[in-house]
Amino acid sequence: MTTQTADPLDAAFAALADPTRRAIVSRLARGDATVTELAAPFAMSLPGISKHLKVLERSGLISRRRDAQFRPCHLEATALDGALDWITTNRRVWDERFDKLDVLLADLQPARKRPRRAGG
Amino acid sequence: MAERGGAATGHPGELHFSRVFEAPRELVFACMTDPEDLARFWGPAGVSAPRDRITVDARPGGVFETVMVNDADGSEYPTRAVYDEVRAPELLVWTESHSGMRVRSEFVALGPQRTEVRIYQTYVPKAFLAPEAQAGFLSSLDRFAAYLGGLVAR
Repeated sequence: MTTQTADPLDAAFAALADPTRRAIVSRLARGDATVTELAAPFAMSLPGISKHLKVLERSGLISRRRDAQFRPCHLEATALDGALDWITTNRRVWDERFDKLDVLLADLQPARKRPRRAGG
Repeated sequence: MAERGGAATGHPGELHFSRVFEAPRELVFACMTDPEDLARFWGPAGVSAPRDRITVDARPGGVFETVMVNDADGSEYPTRAVYDEVRAPELLVWTESHSGMRVRSEFVALGPQRTEVRIYQTYVPKAFLAPEAQAGFLSSLDRFAAYLGGLVAR
């Protein structure tokens, strides 16, 4: 069942809809990094990267420590889990529905069950 | 029997499910639009969809309402949708009112007793309407799930 509300999901999907932000998330999956480290692979200014980081932070996908001098960014894997859960839950619901529909259709067509069991 | 689709269809944020049933197309379509039948399969495993709480008005603008009840704890998941397109016995399209999610069901006759049902579930809200989302990467939620799975699994 889909228990998660749409809002955090919207925020996560929207944040991940951008290729730069996906690249940042991929980088952070390997470990925490500072803004300067994150900016290095991109032909982008630090303010440009900061804008993307703010979007990611608002979506809950990353967090930044307030106290540390270089404020390293940290990937919040559970927020990714939320997006992944939504997709897999939807898939499972349809799979299970169709399993039941398969049984129902067999019930509704009693004449067809016998030849199939006989290997026809 | 299940053929699990991952084909990108060009629509952003779309999940694709497909299953082949050994039954005529008219019968499969009828099951998807008759509350008596829906009550027997609409709830996934461990979930019921009581007959008296299913409403089907299968015509454009008509409502499609269900309540799924969790057998374990009685919690309820009401869903209200409105049909956008109804073309018996080949096509059903509805949009869920609360989520904006669009579900397109195609019924393809593979033979007199064989029907493929293709579900295209589009997650409409903002995220997937952005131009960058439509640029390619997210054209299939299946690919997106694989991507996220790779990150989460670390």
